[in-house]
Amino acid sequence: MVLTRDPQLEAIRARKRTRALLSNLLVYAVLVAVAVISIYPFLWTFMTSLETKGGVFEFPPRLLPQAPSWRNYAAVLELVPIARQFLNSLIISFFGVSLSVLFCTLAAYPLAKMRFPGRNFVFYAILATLVLPNEAGLIVNYVTTAKLGLLKPELGVAGQFAAIILPTLPSTVGLFLIRQAYLSVPTELLEAARMDGASELLVWRRVMLPLAMPTIAAFSILQFVAIWNSFLWPVIILRDRELYPLAAGLLDLAGTFATNTRAVSAGAVIQVIPILIIFFIFQRYFMRGLEGAVKG
Amino acid sequence: MSLRRNSPQAARNARLGRTLLVAYGFMLPLLVVKVVYTFWPIVFGIYLAFTDYNIISPPKWVGLRNFAELFGLGVFAGRGPDPDFWYGLTNSLKYLLVMPIIQIFSVALAMLVNRQIPAIGLFRTAYYVPVVTSFAVVGLMWGWMYNAFGPINFILTRLHLMNPANPSSLLTNPTTALLALMFVTLWKGIGYYMVLYLAGLQSIDRNLEEAALMDGANRAQVFWNITLPGLRPVILVCSLLSTISAIKVFDEIFVMTGGGPAGSTYTAMFFVYSAAFQNFRYGYAAAAGLVVAVVSLLFGMVNFRLTRGGNTQ
Repeated sequence: MVLTRDPQLEAIRARKRTRALLSNLLVYAVLVAVAVISIYPFLWTFMTSLETKGGVFEFPPRLLPQAPSWRNYAAVLELVPIARQFLNSLIISFFGVSLSVLFCTLAAYPLAKMRFPGRNFVFYAILATLVLPNEAGLIVNYVTTAKLGLLKPELGVAGQFAAIILPTLPSTVGLFLIRQAYLSVPTELLEAARMDGASELLVWRRVMLPLAMPTIAAFSILQFVAIWNSFLWPVIILRDRELYPLAAGLLDLAGTFATNTRAVSAGAVIQVIPILIIFFIFQRYFMRGLEGAVKG
Repeated sequence: MSLRRNSPQAARNARLGRTLLVAYGFMLPLLVVKVVYTFWPIVFGIYLAFTDYNIISPPKWVGLRNFAELFGLGVFAGRGPDPDFWYGLTNSLKYLLVMPIIQIFSVALAMLVNRQIPAIGLFRTAYYVPVVTSFAVVGLMWGWMYNAFGPINFILTRLHLMNPANPSSLLTNPTTALLALMFVTLWKGIGYYMVLYLAGLQSIDRNLEEAALMDGANRAQVFWNITLPGLRPVILVCSLLSTISAIKVFDEIFVMTGGGPAGSTYTAMFFVYSAAFQNFRYGYAAAAGLVVAVVSLLFGMVNFRLTRGGNTQ
């Protein structure tokens, strides 16, 4: 390669570099501005939860706490049974996620890899429910849950938690994503396993599940976020405030102690932190799950 | 017997029977819960819309009475349409304004983050944080942002849009409350659609754009003739999703204004919710819910037509 030192060419290159640099700077400026808008409310909330001095609302808003301490966290732990609500959220999310993964991975198998009458009907009937405004279903679901007897006092905690979890289990998004993943599993693999005398259940467990693992992980995270964050259904269903998950408890806290912004902000931070940790660790799966929904 | 079993027809039937058994066996757990909690509400909800129901006594068939009350027809002609419901529906339709704005911003944002520059992953993550946050927390945080002496008003006073001596929250002003809520919806939703559009952008053939640029097309031409048509399927899905969620908007309002001030943020789903869970008129609520569902399906269809339009060849 011959490097020519043509001054004119050099000038053009330099101009191009400057232009690229300028356009990148502009891009970064916009990116930073949008990021500030996205993140600022979280920062404000976190700062307020640590602050113990001065007024909560001031012109101009303070960026760093003057006298940071964990006192507001101690206060909110005394005001409401946060630890209990945290545990409730964990239990609800654990059973909600694992059971919906089980249901969806099972149901997606025949929909992706078997030929039988009614297959398309079942799949599209389920898919169509995505478009329906499902909040209207709250009314009937409340009636159904009451009729199923899940809210009877003798069933206690198990009944009420089951009432919260059940409607979230047959996730249409999960079924769709996992079916997409199964579709890309080569049929020869299944045939080979069947030839070796493996039952369908064994084929599902040994071939399909391992190969669909990235999608299953993505769906688990989507589902965890959805269940951890939901508050409306638990508020409607639960009579027992002891059983509130964090998100519902937070609304309760905000309603009762509206004036104690610092304690409430500490509660908000406690609700958000687990989600953010999970999200930062698994965000690659999370994004892939969403992308899969579009590409499919 | 043995002859029949050997016939190919019988063997095929036996195989089909087994496949059916296995297939529906695998789907059974999901289907049972799905029927109870998704399909049954559709059927029973439609039935309830024609009844009087308070959960305690069995539903009483009233025919079209609930709809007559909503629309102010028949026996209710003298009273006129239920003002709360129509007020709510009007506000829900105003909320549709969010849809085009959120789509335009998220396409723009997706194009901005669709480049290989340092720290771009960090920005994508930052934009996604509001999406994974519960509306319970979002509502609280934005309540504080909009506080009379909160950060939003600080900016507004600096821009001389508000008197610093006597600031008032945008959420307590009937003319701005709905707009303030729309901004929160935008803030929370934009990252979600951005990721979907990003996936769409990455599935567009890069070579196509580069070839067009080589042939002397400018950036705008490439955007209109290659990028946008390539995104059409994603735009279809996203605008459908955001149209439907705009009409049935509820969570933001439930946690931030409760329908106030002076009913200025009272939406259709808020009406449904309070008819059912505050006034215990489940039949009437179901009828209103059905009207909202039909309206959002109609808008969904219009939207489907519009996004497909221009693709006539």
